[in-house]
Amino acid sequence: MSETDSNVEDLYLESYAFTTAAAIVGSVDRKIFVLLRDGRNLFGVLRTFDQFANLVLQDTIERIYLGSEGSDDLSKPERFGEAYRGVFMVRGENVVMMGEVDIDHEDEHLEVLSQIPFEVAEKELKSIHKQKMKFEKAKTKKLLSKGLINDFAKSDLY
Amino acid sequence: MLPLYILTSAKNQPILVELKNGETLNGLLTNCDSWMNLTLSEVIQTSPNGEDFLKIPEIYIRGNHIKYLRLPEQTMDQAKEQNLINMEQRNKNQRRRGNNNGNYNNNGNFNRRRNDNNQSNRRNFNNRRFNNNNNTE
Repeated sequence: MSETDSNVEDLYLESYAFTTAAAIVGSVDRKIFVLLRDGRNLFGVLRTFDQFANLVLQDTIERIYLGSEGSDDLSKPERFGEAYRGVFMVRGENVVMMGEVDIDHEDEHLEVLSQIPFEVAEKELKSIHKQKMKFEKAKTKKLLSKGLINDFAKSDLY
Repeated sequence: MLPLYILTSAKNQPILVELKNGETLNGLLTNCDSWMNLTLSEVIQTSPNGEDFLKIPEIYIRGNHIKYLRLPEQTMDQAKEQNLINMEQRNKNQRRRGNNNGNYNNNGNFNRRRNDNNQSNRRNFNNRRFNNNNNTE
């Protein structure tokens, strides 16, 4: 009797976090969405996390959203590509945001989009990123000539 | 079960590491620590644009350069099993400790006695010096 009691206590202590990262404890074993600083969209089941918000995702899918063909506007998605990625361990520093996904409605927004092969989407996204880098570089130069600083980091493509 | 615990249970398995600069490293995880510093063996390094490849026998990665890791599918189950085994072992140890309460008290006594010995040694030493002083006088 006392033995089972102590086991329950062990479980409780193990799942209890003492920092603000504990806010995501309610999302454990649920499907979540994670946006990384490099612009990657990950969808997977959150299995565990720690005080740095390092995340472990299982059955992860990486999805790329693209605008209409020939457009580099990512804010109005019309096409998407996705790839299965398996078990993911994300270092907390690289997370921009995350949130729970409603699994009853998660595919609804995809119905109005057309699916393209992941490799094609990846290639297109890369060229969009390349363009953005070029644009930001020019912007930095221009601002600098006016004595201003362009707040842009190469690794921030989200 | 913390992420780093899962990482340690993925030792000797093939993993993929992507660094913040976009480089990827495929190799066997030989070791890791609590800062997520890693050592990999039999590594294939891929450049950020995915065009250049490099074969490296062994590599060390400083944890703070890592963006993410991809682990083999079965790692989660293995970590769970390992955790269960550890829990059982811990429970066994706790039970044993519970039975040996008396011994622990003895241990405390042992320490105290050892302190007593030290004190008596010091006393002897002082006496000896006292005697020596006497002799010189």
